[in-house]
Amino acid sequence: MLKRWILDFAYYLDTSKSYQRKKHFFYRLLEDDKFKYKKYVDFLMITLIFISVIVLIREVKHHVNDYLLFFSNYIISFVFFIEYMLRLWVNSSVSKIIVARAEHDSFLHREVNLKKAFLEILRVKLRYMLSPQAIIDLLAILPFFHELRLLRIFILFRVFKLFRYAKSFQTLASVLGTKKFEFLTLGIFASIVIFISSVLIYVMEGNDPASPINTLFEAVYWSIVTISTVGYGDITPVSHEGRFVAMLVITAGIAVLAFTTSLFVSAFTEKLDEIREIKMIENVSKLKKFYLICGYESIARELARKLALSENDIIVMDEDEQRIELAKADGFTALNYDPGKVESYEKLNIDMATQVKAILCLRENDVENVYSALTIRSIDKEVFILALLMQDVNRKKLEFTGVDKIVYPQELVGLITKELVGKPVAFEVIHELRSENADVKIDELGVTERIVENFPTVGDLGNKKFRVVLLGVYKERDDRFYFNPLDDMLLEAGDYLLVIGYQVFILEFEKYLHTKVDNA
Amino acid sequence: MPKTTALIFGYNKYAREILNNVKDKYKNIKIYARDIENIKEEDKKFIESFDLSDEWDSIKKDVDVSKSMAFCVLEDTAENIFLTISLRANFEELTIIALASNKESANKLKMAGANKVIPLVETTADIIANMLEKPISNRILHSILYEESALKIAQIKINEDSHFKDEELHSIDWTRYNGIIVLSVMRKDMKSEFIYSNKAKHHILEPGDVLVVVGYENDIKEFEKKIGSKRYVDWSNWSW
Repeated sequence: MLKRWILDFAYYLDTSKSYQRKKHFFYRLLEDDKFKYKKYVDFLMITLIFISVIVLIREVKHHVNDYLLFFSNYIISFVFFIEYMLRLWVNSSVSKIIVARAEHDSFLHREVNLKKAFLEILRVKLRYMLSPQAIIDLLAILPFFHELRLLRIFILFRVFKLFRYAKSFQTLASVLGTKKFEFLTLGIFASIVIFISSVLIYVMEGNDPASPINTLFEAVYWSIVTISTVGYGDITPVSHEGRFVAMLVITAGIAVLAFTTSLFVSAFTEKLDEIREIKMIENVSKLKKFYLICGYESIARELARKLALSENDIIVMDEDEQRIELAKADGFTALNYDPGKVESYEKLNIDMATQVKAILCLRENDVENVYSALTIRSIDKEVFILALLMQDVNRKKLEFTGVDKIVYPQELVGLITKELVGKPVAFEVIHELRSENADVKIDELGVTERIVENFPTVGDLGNKKFRVVLLGVYKERDDRFYFNPLDDMLLEAGDYLLVIGYQVFILEFEKYLHTKVDNA
Repeated sequence: MPKTTALIFGYNKYAREILNNVKDKYKNIKIYARDIENIKEEDKKFIESFDLSDEWDSIKKDVDVSKSMAFCVLEDTAENIFLTISLRANFEELTIIALASNKESANKLKMAGANKVIPLVETTADIIANMLEKPISNRILHSILYEESALKIAQIKINEDSHFKDEELHSIDWTRYNGIIVLSVMRKDMKSEFIYSNKAKHHILEPGDVLVVVGYENDIKEFEKKIGSKRYVDWSNWSW
């Protein structure tokens, strides 16, 4: 009966959307750096840690307010306890383990063995509880029993909790982790030297009344102080034999120090590019809207420059190292990843639907662009993709990949030439309007609810006062452009005003449209 | 002088694209190719062979350069510049349009004597940037320029009989001409001024000035009638 009840409950939890949603929320709150509320939780925890430490320091020589003490010992410990339990909860799914066991056993036509499921749960939870971070979390709760004076020192373990919240500590640990074997070798070497020299100096001077070394502990202390090249000088050997040992320890100390320093340096040098890349990806994942340029050749370079002028964020991705270096030299965030691999986009850790304005496949090679476009489409069906086409015979292939817009420079040359020889002045005028260096520009101004309230009709806009030509109104709703509309045309939110004028006057006009409410 | 002959130098994908787009605008078209072996059947009638070290005797003999427009589209930038210099040195009156891979070669081609240069990289990047940043205006301008919609851009020349002759630009009540929008005025000296610019404001319209207007065909015709000026129809008259 109990077994049935447990199984039903596990199945209920495993399928309950609201339970899973809540669990996922707490998981993200505690573990997902991209979750917007996580930073607030981190900040709260860091503040609590510092309050605890400040109270501990203050308490050494001064009386601390009872409320503050209560807060430090009980409230903070309680908050940490809750955090510990939440982490234990979200770390793995008990219901999933039970359900998996039940499915497995029923598939094999056996009776469900809950004992095995519970053992598995115990194993998984214990594995988490015995991880260094979980142990630190647990120790940080111990000051709750502050009456045991020794346990108060565990407040300091709260400081270790900072490791969890500060990314740089994690980076440091991961960098040093790459040299685990070397550090182990160094540690063994240093331990052997310390052990031998401690025993030697103790044997040589332990019975010498003139020597300050009387116990093995003092001998070990002297060895460590000497090998680390600190050399306080509070304990020094007095006999020739003792000094000989000291010379050996000092020589070994120099070797240990040099070895340690070189280990740190080489670990960081080897990991430097990786650290930079991690940092870069972190920055990219924080961007709200950006253009992703795949392939950095001449057209991509020029386009990136133009888009950057309009204050767009640009991320460049290219498999060629030299081109990436060029993109970096041009001041762009550039990643040496292959745009044709799904892994490259996964590494970026971005949400294409919300963060990417458009992906631009700009390799001057159709095969590469088709490959990249197909890869991107396999990840996201909606994101806007623009691709460069170099040979018209490949157009269908590029269309087949689901590219939204194809730009074929050769065709542009034909069209431009046709217009250039056909309508030179008109061409020049329109070219000028589009050009980045021109004073007179064409711009599109979005109509908001607020603008509609203040300027219900085209006639109310008063664009002529600002020396701005209203070319027309684009109604997004019926995807239609109304050229040179009459003054009584009603404006609606979502419309776009296409205006031509000097940049500065357009800006003035736009400002006026948005601020009129104050003047009214 | 009207341009009646197109001379395309180089036979490649750009040359073919230009040929397809301009063949109905010129009476004579000649494509000068260096390698005449891999020519498509339909293009063979236009082909003539040439060499960069040519003295251009055949052109001097067969073509009236003052009525010709040259397109320099050799793929090698250095050769294209050499070709442009060579043409300019031999034919002062020839109008030369050259294709450049980037801005740097565009400047060199201008120095070499090209009247107009199309920098391919910059132009493509410009068009993509406009597509992305100003999609609506880009679409509208594109449809106006390439006549994909009924909306047209026209150049109207002020002539001796025009009502606007000797009138100050800012004193003209444009609201009387509802259907059209006047964007700019191109003065006789070929300088174009935006209609609301300070310089254009006090400009007195003279015969020979050109108004650039946008509107529907009927409205443009109506405008022509009202102001007593004709559209600047002979497009091929264009030269710099």
